[in-house]
Order: sequence, then structure tokens, then C-alpha cells
Amino acid sequence: MNETSSITMMVFLLYIVGVFVLAGLSHRLLSKRSFLSEYFLGSRGLGTWALAFTFAATSASGGSFGGYPSLIYSYGWVLALWIGSYMMVPLCTMGIMGKRLNQVARISNAITIPDVLRDRFESPAIGLISSGTMVFFTICFLVAQFKLGAIIIEDTFNLQFDYAYEVSLIIFAVVVIFYTSYGGFRAVVWTDVMQGIVMGLGVLVLIPIVLNKTGGLEKATKTLAQQPPMAITSVPGPDGAKGTFNDLVFHTTGTPAPAGIAYRNPEKPNSPLLIHWQSDDELAFAEITMATDAKGQVTTTANQVKRAVEQDAVLGNVLKIEFPYKNNDTETVDGVEVSHGATGVIWFPEGKSEYRYPMIHGHELVFGPGRTNEGRPFHTLGMILSFFTMWAITGMAQPSTMVRLIAFKDSRTLKRAIITVSIYFGMIYLPLIAIVMAARSALPVLTPEESDRAIVLIATRLVSDMSIPYQMLGAIFIAAPFAAVMSTVDSMLLLISSSAVRDVYQRTINPDVSQRKVKIISYSTTAVAGVLITLAALHPPNFLQKLLVFGAGGLASSFLFPTLLGIFWKGTTRQGALAAMIGGFCTTVGLFLPTLLGGTRIDSLGLHPSLWGLIASATLGIAVSKATGPPPPHLVRRYFYKQPPT
Amino acid sequence: MPGQDDNPPPPNGHSLAENPPLVEDPIYLHTRREAKIILVMWVVAMVYTCSYCYLYGYASHPSDPAVAGPTISDWVGPLESFDRKADSVTTPLGLGIPDWVFYGVALPWLACIFVSILFCLFIYEDDDLDSVEEAVSPATEGASNERN
Repeated sequence: MNETSSITMMVFLLYIVGVFVLAGLSHRLLSKRSFLSEYFLGSRGLGTWALAFTFAATSASGGSFGGYPSLIYSYGWVLALWIGSYMMVPLCTMGIMGKRLNQVARISNAITIPDVLRDRFESPAIGLISSGTMVFFTICFLVAQFKLGAIIIEDTFNLQFDYAYEVSLIIFAVVVIFYTSYGGFRAVVWTDVMQGIVMGLGVLVLIPIVLNKTGGLEKATKTLAQQPPMAITSVPGPDGAKGTFNDLVFHTTGTPAPAGIAYRNPEKPNSPLLIHWQSDDELAFAEITMATDAKGQVTTTANQVKRAVEQDAVLGNVLKIEFPYKNNDTETVDGVEVSHGATGVIWFPEGKSEYRYPMIHGHELVFGPGRTNEGRPFHTLGMILSFFTMWAITGMAQPSTMVRLIAFKDSRTLKRAIITVSIYFGMIYLPLIAIVMAARSALPVLTPEESDRAIVLIATRLVSDMSIPYQMLGAIFIAAPFAAVMSTVDSMLLLISSSAVRDVYQRTINPDVSQRKVKIISYSTTAVAGVLITLAALHPPNFLQKLLVFGAGGLASSFLFPTLLGIFWKGTTRQGALAAMIGGFCTTVGLFLPTLLGGTRIDSLGLHPSLWGLIASATLGIAVSKATGPPPPHLVRRYFYKQPPT
Repeated sequence: MPGQDDNPPPPNGHSLAENPPLVEDPIYLHTRREAKIILVMWVVAMVYTCSYCYLYGYASHPSDPAVAGPTISDWVGPLESFDRKADSVTTPLGLGIPDWVFYGVALPWLACIFVSILFCLFIYEDDDLDSVEEAVSPATEGASNERN
């Protein structure tokens, strides 16, 4: 283990010790207060800093420090527009519903979101359906987050042995399950505060380091705009294995022109090895056809492609080929030095022996819409509108953040928290783009799959030759994505157990349950939920990222309008709320179904399915409420009227 | 949000004898007004940022060929005269941020932080949530009993 790894390990251990200490302190409070209200809601006593950081850290899931930097690396500055809606996220997600939701929850003494809906509409059916919906989408989301947590441990400590992923997953799961089960909501909130500080500090620390080491953002942006086209292959291995199957990076050293060049594999003259490129409007593709054996299996190695290109009189002048990260170690095979990882057979999915790789211009990383690895535009107008709506509006309806809005102490706390989170998000999301774009030139070329490592590489490579204090700061930054994943996972684990214990067991099966039994059930449900999700994450499905988007979108379209209409519109009936919830659920699941079955998502009119889920939910909620209204007068009186002051 | 006319009448009538006339909850009225203002601010931010960036920050304005049927991009059109070229990028104030990101995202982001602070300080009401009477429904008695 080198010095950087030792320092990283030390920072990680300190961080985990801190988490356990906070869980212990929180557990002591559990014995002094009402158990359920304390375990799942922190006794409705969150102050400004606690509310601000728990809200920010829960919203900023692992994606903020894993997927988001990876997208910046792959698509460039257009990510500023992609994330742009975060300028309004604190005000929208906390300001629109926060105070009113807190009031409605206090009126009925609700401690979970299904609790709020159940009491608002006096409908056990709504309580149970919302619990079921919440658990379903939350589990989808959590399986993906657990995998991300394990990958961060595996990557950060560069674990390279059999079952490295499984060991990393178990370490992650044990830490999270223990402190969440043991400490409950308050432990989650306190660790969120710590994690929020780690994340913010990490970004602030890295900005000057990166700008100083890479020559500044100005230079990086202008260099990138003039960069010749480049294609990065990302051939996944069998069963989705990544990073081991001979990815190649094609750099053009001049402007691509329409051309077709055939080349024969010098070692197998009868097997065609074709590398040609052609222009398709402005988009050029590197197209390779591999040599195959008698059974039709591809036999060409990445090294053969590289050598063939280098030796070709024409191609050698216009194309430069290199192996991306992980494939740049060399070894000697039969007396010839070859790149490790590039000696195996190139593997194409679904038995293909041909593939087209788009050559992406440098200026496509400076301007929109960005280009996917299949050559499709990344952020089209429909997606611009969808994402601007999704972050700010659907962000309101994530149960993990909504439950924080029923847990704060008073409205002054909420106001201060909105201001704090507004500044905090501004300090994190835009600077992250600057960090990744400035550091891009100093990083090895990463395939789309490997680009998840961008943030870890930035933090390790750029500080590895600096003094120990800087290395410690780099290690703090590496801990940021880990903290982000943990802060989301712990909140969602509690959501699942609160649904099971409060909404299903206590309020439906056994209302007279004793406090002692409630405690045992709460601890064990949180732990069992964590164990089950760990087991699912041992063999996660390949469409993990899609599962993550599906989970978040599904939660939003199922919960936003039942809650929003319920707290702001007197005319909402229980049938209307139920229709809004089921309509949002079915629309989202229906439009995502093709993706989950391996096909293409249905983006009608180019808009994201979550948006259609919201539209369906709102329409059904209003129409059915009007058709079945008016709602019971005592409910309207309870939630919308009060005695005049005397 | 449906209009106020769609709301049921104040539920005072059936038990006027026992209860004095009710008034609309001031916290409900404040939060409804604040929610409308925030939504208007969000729409303004969306219209400005999305239209500015789409017009001045895109090298091309295509629709996604993988989407079946018409898309919003098709309706708006290719906007070729707005397509940015590689050498057209400038970085205002020498910060290294491309012009369209600076004017389309960074500046409005700063403005939104500023407006959010003003909104919280001067418009968002300091309602007293402690005055809310916690009703104990039969269903929630289990939780309440714990305190005893």
C-alpha cells in the first residue's frame, strides 16, 4: 500500500469511527424520549444546521459525487444546464411544501409520509398503498446505491482479489445497517451533517488544487474546444463485466474526412480486419470489423488492431490509438511487449463482430447537446425541460426528503435552512463542473464505464506528489462520494422500516403494541431490510442506472400530487388522492417497462417518463376529486380552518 | 392548483350551534401564497435558463433519433443560425467558464441564491407551528401512549 492509500485508509477509518460515535450518542437519546417519534422522526426537533445538512446530504445521493462527475467527464459543459434547476431546488423543495406539510403532520401527529396521507384523507387504503409504493421504489433505488457504495470502497482501495466486490459490499452494508438500526433518525441526521460538511469541504479544497495543477479552467476550456475528434470504445465483457475487455481510444490527429480504408490482419490474411471511418453529416464513426474463427467467434485482439493501425501508411498518419485506464500496464508475451488487458479477444455484445464508435469533437464538450457513445444527442430540448422540472419539482416529492420537512422545529428553522442549502448547493454543483473540466486534461482517458472513477482519480492523482496535508485533503474528497451514498442509504433504510413498523404493523395489524415490542421490531426491521438489500446487491441487475432513475421518478410521480393536492386544495377527495397516486405509479412503470426489459425507454415527445407520470397524476387527482367531491366537511375543517383568535 | 372556486364551502353550517364560525387557517393561506410566488420564480428561472442556453449554447439542435414520433425539438426546429462553432467560445471575466454557461446558468444561479435569501428574509412568514393543536386520532393513539 503506498502512502496515498495509507492516508486515504486513515481518513476513511476516522470517518467511520465518527459515524459510530454519533450513532452511540443518538442511541442514548432513544431511551429518554418517545421511541417511535424519536427513532423515525427525531422528536420533530431538527434545528437549522441539522435540517439544512440532512436535507442537502439526503438529496445529494451518491450520484452527485459518482454519476454526476462521470457525466461531466463524458459530456462536458452541457451538464451545467442539466443540473441548472438546482438553482431553484432549495426554494422549491423546502419552501413550497415544507411549512404546510409540517403543520398538517402536527395536526394529526403523523410521523411518516404514509401516516400524513392516511390521516389527511382518513383512508387506511391510502396509507397501505402509499407504504407499498414507497417500499417498492425505495428498494429499487437502494439496491443501486448499495452497489455504488461497494464500488467506491473497491475502487478507492484498489482491491484486486476474488470477491473484492462482495467484501466491499459487506463492509459498506455492515457500517450503514449498524449505525442506522442502532441510532435511528437522529443518528442519520447527525451523520448527514458530518457527511454534508465532508462533501462541501471536499469540493472547496479541491478547486484550488486542481486549477493550480492543471493550468486553470480558461486554458482547459479553450484547449478542449479545439481538440480533434476522438472515439472511446466501451465494449462490455460477457455478463456486463467492465474494464477488462480491451477498450480502445481512437484519436484523430486531423479533421476527419469521408474515407473508407480496409485493412487485413497481417497474421491472418484470410480474416478481414477492417478499420474505416466515414462522415455522417458532422459525425464521424470509427468502424471496426474483427477477424473471426471458423465458429464465428471474434479472435482479434485490441493489440492487433493497434499494431495494424500504426503500421498502415494512411491510418497511421491520421489515427492514434491507445488503451484507456486499467489497460495501460504492459507485460511481455512471446518476447513481445504488449499492453496488459489488451491481449485477450475483443468481445462484442450479442455476438456482433462489428461496431461503430462515434468520433466526438472537442467542441461538443464545450457546447450542447453532448454526444452519447452511440452517437445520439445527449441533452435535447425535451430533456432540458424534463430535467429542469424534475430536479426542482419532483425533488419535492421524495419521501426521504419530505420526512425531513415534518421533522423540523419551527418555521424560522426552515427559513434559515433554505438559505443555507441554497448557498451550499451553489458551492457544490457548479464548482464540480469546473473541477472535472479543468482536471480532464490531466486524467487518463476513461471509457464511459470507467468515467465513474473520475472523481477518485482526480483526488488521488493530482495530490499524490503533494505534501501529506494535501494528501489528507484529497482523501477527504475521496470520502465525499462515500458519505453521499451513506447519507442517502441510511435515510431510505429508515423509510422502509418506518413503513413496515408504523404504517403496516402498528396502525393496521396491532395498534395496541407495547413500546418494548415496537423497539425490537424497529431495530430488527431496519437491520433485516438492510440485509435483504445487501443480498439483492450481491447480484444486481445490469440496468442499475436505469433502476436508479426509475426509483426516483416513480417515487415522485406517485407522491407529489397526492401530497400537494392534499395539503393545498380543500376539494381533494380520498378517491382523487388514490387516483393521483395509482395514475402516477402506473404511468411511470408503463413508460419505463421497455427499459427494464432491455429495450428503449418511451420518451413521448422527447420528454422524460417521470414528467408524464406527473401529468397523469395531476390530471387524475383533480378530475377524480371533482367527480367524487365534495370531501367530508370535518376533514376540510380540521386541515384548512381554525377557530378565530379571541 | 385548482382555483379557489373549486373549493367546498366553509364547513361551518352543520354545527353552528356548537361551534363559532371558523376562519381559514392563516398558515394555510400564507403557505398557499408563498407556494404560488415560488412557482412563478421557478417558471421565470426555467424560461430564461432553458431558452438562453438552448439558443446560445448548442452546437446543433437535433432531436433524439431513438425517440419514436414527433418531439419538442422537431416543433422548435433546427435553429441552424444559432449553431455554435468550435472557435466561437469566449470566457467572460477570464474565469474559464464558457460564455453561454456564464450568462445562462452561473449568473442566474447567483441571482436565485440572492432572491432565495431575500424571499426567506422578507416574504416567507414566520408562522408559529407550535400553536398547531395536535389532534390524536384513534389510529395514532399507539404512538401517543408511548409517552405515558
